[in-house]
Amino acid sequence: MYEWSEEHRELRAEFAHWYETLGEGHLEADRDSGLPPRAWERVRASGLLRLPFHAEWGGRGLDLLSTMYVLEGLGEGCRDGGLCFSICTQIVSAGIPLQRFGSAELKARHLPGICDGGTITAHAITDPNGGSDVLGMGMTAKPDGDDWILDGDKVFVTNGPVADLIVVYALTDASLGPFGLTAFLVERGTEGVLAGADVPKMGLRTSPLGELSLRGCRVPAANVLGRPGMGFAVLDHVMRWEILCSFIVQVGAMQHRLDRCVEHATRRRQFGRPIGSFQMIADQIVDMKIGVETSRRWLYDAAEGFVRGRDVTTDIAIAKVLASEANVKSALSAVQIFGGRGYLTETGLEKDLRDAVGGTIYSGTSEMQRIRIARMLGLKESQT
Amino acid sequence: MDITQVIREFVVTEYLPDTPPDELEVDYDLFRNGVINSLDLLRLISWLKDHFGIPVDELDIVPENFRTVAAIRDFVDSALPAPAERTLK
Repeated sequence: MYEWSEEHRELRAEFAHWYETLGEGHLEADRDSGLPPRAWERVRASGLLRLPFHAEWGGRGLDLLSTMYVLEGLGEGCRDGGLCFSICTQIVSAGIPLQRFGSAELKARHLPGICDGGTITAHAITDPNGGSDVLGMGMTAKPDGDDWILDGDKVFVTNGPVADLIVVYALTDASLGPFGLTAFLVERGTEGVLAGADVPKMGLRTSPLGELSLRGCRVPAANVLGRPGMGFAVLDHVMRWEILCSFIVQVGAMQHRLDRCVEHATRRRQFGRPIGSFQMIADQIVDMKIGVETSRRWLYDAAEGFVRGRDVTTDIAIAKVLASEANVKSALSAVQIFGGRGYLTETGLEKDLRDAVGGTIYSGTSEMQRIRIARMLGLKESQT
Repeated sequence: MDITQVIREFVVTEYLPDTPPDELEVDYDLFRNGVINSLDLLRLISWLKDHFGIPVDELDIVPENFRTVAAIRDFVDSALPAPAERTLK
């Protein structure tokens, strides 16, 4: 298990007072949907958006694991799961690929705003007719002089309704297989860009989610991240960061929920004894503990391997499946352990459950992760 | 076995099971002919890391390094230390 230094603990403590503040009014915010008014201003003031970016653009210069450690604290301390999700998207969707693959000019232009939160970011990956098969996407980009012309639609764009800067993945040459995809940085004000309104959804309601339509949208060739054809590598890099960051937030949330259930099961009495003394309740709490510990270890271990250059394709997929499914199970157990009160909105546990369900779907469904693991094991596609 | 043959056998075994290894030309375009999709590419990269012990950075994931058996061989060659120090599995 990863050993955290005193410096790490001090770093996390530095942000601690923000966590609760960011989650204030989370029940009402969930009921109202959309990014809560004033919440983003608080997020900006917290400095959380700066964590993994170099100091020259206004970042804190933290490595991946330190960033995750602070974000785990966010998940533990902030009860607004949707806001946490939007924070993760802001960090990983455009800033991370820009820092890794962007030109010096693009970085200088956009990273300070991303660190500061004055520029809200999103990434547009999913095709309305597609899903996990990114090469089946309908968004195309064709070269035209020094520009590219993007055409197509995207769905499930987190932060999309409010984003100023969006990384759009488009097909640039279908015949090149995995190298047919290119990542473009698209500014909201570009002619032909139309962002849809917030779409109602089951959970994560405070994280705006929308559609994006691009019609004859002219983007300078200088806005390509990496090179044309590198979209797959960019996306794979971003997905690793997205999974590690957004699910370590969930580990924090699971830890908080576990502590809450232990406290409740110790205090709440039935038949003259604490309900935690009933084996069936204890078993559920023990499974919550196993879920937290397993997910945490897999995420940090995969992150450490990723940083060291180990091949972690399978590890990240396993960590994602474990953490997302453990979170759903933990949220469901918490509702059950709290009984009737767990079913009430005011406890916040039913919201946790609704938020958790999304985790098995976004960033590559559990099914898709299992397909990846199978392929990495050498189990092949049917040839018939 | 030389590197070209090792790579050719991996590609054939993994992605072209009905093709005898020697029939796969080293300049056969693996993308335009639809041999390697994105999941296959992930496995190929993982195999290159494991088998040859070479780091494959995201910035190396460009078509010219993976388009043909010859291209993969050249990429491995450029990433490997001098032949005397090689320890192939």
